[in-house]
Amino acid sequence: MKLLKLAAVSMLALGTFSGAQAAETELHMIQCGDNTWGGDFAEKHIAEWEAQNPGFKVNLEYLAWGQCQDKAKTLAAAGNAPALAYMGSRTLKQLAKNNLIIPINMTDADKATYAPPVLGTVTADGQVWGAPRAFSTKAFFWNKDLFTAAGLDPETPPKTWDEMYSFAEQIIAKTDAQGVGLAAASFDNTMHQFMNYVYSNGGEVINSAGDIVFNSPQNVETMAFYGKLASVSQTGPIAYDRAKLGPLFINGQIAMYIDGPWARARLNEGGVNYGVGFIPAGPSGASGTLLITDSLAVFKGTGVEEQALSLAKYLTNPVNQFEFEMAAGLTPLRAVAGVKDMIAEDPTWAAFLDIIPAGGPEPFVTDYVGLQDAINDAIQSVVLGEATPAEAVAAAAEELEDTK
Amino acid sequence: MNALDGKTNYFPYLLLLPALALTMLIVAWPLAETVRLSFTNSSLNPVENYVGFKNYIKIFGGKFPEVIVRTFYWMLISVTFKMVVGVAGAMLLNCAVPGRNLFRILIMPPWIVPIAIGVFIWSWMYNGQFGMISGIGQWLGIFAGPFEFLAYRNTAFYATIVTDVWVGTPLVTIYLLAAMQSVPGDLHEAAWTDGASRFYRFRRITLPLIMPAVATMALLSAIWTFNSFDIIWILTEGGPRGSTTTMIVDTFKTAISRNRYGEGAARAVMIVVFLTSFSAFYFYMLSRFAKRALDKTGGKK
Repeated sequence: MKLLKLAAVSMLALGTFSGAQAAETELHMIQCGDNTWGGDFAEKHIAEWEAQNPGFKVNLEYLAWGQCQDKAKTLAAAGNAPALAYMGSRTLKQLAKNNLIIPINMTDADKATYAPPVLGTVTADGQVWGAPRAFSTKAFFWNKDLFTAAGLDPETPPKTWDEMYSFAEQIIAKTDAQGVGLAAASFDNTMHQFMNYVYSNGGEVINSAGDIVFNSPQNVETMAFYGKLASVSQTGPIAYDRAKLGPLFINGQIAMYIDGPWARARLNEGGVNYGVGFIPAGPSGASGTLLITDSLAVFKGTGVEEQALSLAKYLTNPVNQFEFEMAAGLTPLRAVAGVKDMIAEDPTWAAFLDIIPAGGPEPFVTDYVGLQDAINDAIQSVVLGEATPAEAVAAAAEELEDTK
Repeated sequence: MNALDGKTNYFPYLLLLPALALTMLIVAWPLAETVRLSFTNSSLNPVENYVGFKNYIKIFGGKFPEVIVRTFYWMLISVTFKMVVGVAGAMLLNCAVPGRNLFRILIMPPWIVPIAIGVFIWSWMYNGQFGMISGIGQWLGIFAGPFEFLAYRNTAFYATIVTDVWVGTPLVTIYLLAAMQSVPGDLHEAAWTDGASRFYRFRRITLPLIMPAVATMALLSAIWTFNSFDIIWILTEGGPRGSTTTMIVDTFKTAISRNRYGEGAARAVMIVVFLTSFSAFYFYMLSRFAKRALDKTGGKK
């Protein structure tokens, strides 16, 4: 009898527990990478949000970088979208066009916390399509020892393209190194590297009205300079993406190149005597940089859009976002109080942060891979000498019409 | 199916049903679905519409014909080298040399090592600054300075073939070695007694007897090479300027990278059509050669 009572109580408890479980609504969240990448703070913030929103449980799924975005897109296309997912902001316009995500309803006060070019990486047709989560800018790295060996002032990097080219020639003439590291492989960061020069010469790919404006005198000038750099770069730049330039710079085989803030750790480890500054300015512009963000996108049709939106905003509010950025080693998205301390502690941050207002967003189109292929093909055609810069830019601009 | 008593027995058909259902599920249905998709504008948009032959017209109006020619060229060169090196390797491994078993094991790593790792190693070997090939080339005076094999159209094209041959040859070798070991030894002994040279014995005994295995392996190798994706993707992603873009790479880029499932499906259908046509042509030519050989011997096998 006692046993029966115990069983009945257990079943009742189990039933109650299951009922409680069933009452909890799940939010499926896809995060790229793993827990080591600021995960502890992200999970802490998620737990806080869950405590503030009883009845909702976040099912956080970490996926490898190579799969996470494809999985989120495939699930969404199959009608089984996650509540929210970490996506490259470059994909947001495509997702929005296909009616798969909802806009992030930011107030003007929310928007004012970001530098306008940063917001440009997630804005299309007047709507913000993702809550920026990770951010990077690029800067110019030079090897001070090679500058000294070439008779250049190691503390004075080139300010203009002309200076950059003549410095490169001098380095080749007086040292065993090549002047510049140039990326022209069929990979996405070739286009990114090129865009740094585009934004340092007053160029654009797509304007705020959504028109392709790639075929401009500024971009022809930029393409010509990129091609010209091949004569003072490492041999065969088409075999190199940005990641492969790092080892050349560490080994003193190239004297100058463009990279993100993450490169500093490797260079410090390699004992390289380097400087970091703004990217030299082209003849038609001022120093600029490419701004890249990844965002939390809220998917449509999940039934928990409101909660997903709330979670995305909670995770990316200025305080939580900065905590996450510090833990993950990311470039801060906003100029919050802690940023000044960061620069004071490591002055090389200034080259990556002070340039933000002059930066340009990753082109926001509906077919990002098409855009990347068109621009990379133009770059390769010029580097290989198979087309003039004007021809290459015109051909790419025509192809880009299909991607906007 | 008739039983011994003449009555129709349905039980064997019943036994075949699970296999048939499985085949329908994993082969027929995806194929049919791919064909259906190829007539739609399927993309990330949940709503898809039928567009008739628009996808086919579009792909043949672009660079696809060039990609088809390149794919067959890439496949033919790669398979030819795999077969030649494979036959030579199998012969060497079939010789009675000391440590033969060790050599048989040592030939397998390119096949055993995960392709991604092997290809990544090759990508560094092709590197001009750090790579072994460029270094040896400079040491021998072939190159004046660092040479980047993946930076130019032609060298990138052949570099991907070399890596594909490296990956694919061990299987061909082992398969043909097995075929060679099944050739009766007394035939060789008789020919040797008659004074036949080593090459003559290979040409008149070994090769004819392993020909069915060579033909089978050549076809299998052609199909695998035609569909080879990871080697090209890791080394060049189809570049420079599309010079290493084969049909399978082009299909992946369109369907997966660009999320144009309809257009990608049309390309996939063309792969099936071309591979099937190639296989049919191959079998037709084989049967003609076999018939000619039989005619030469007066119909005697």
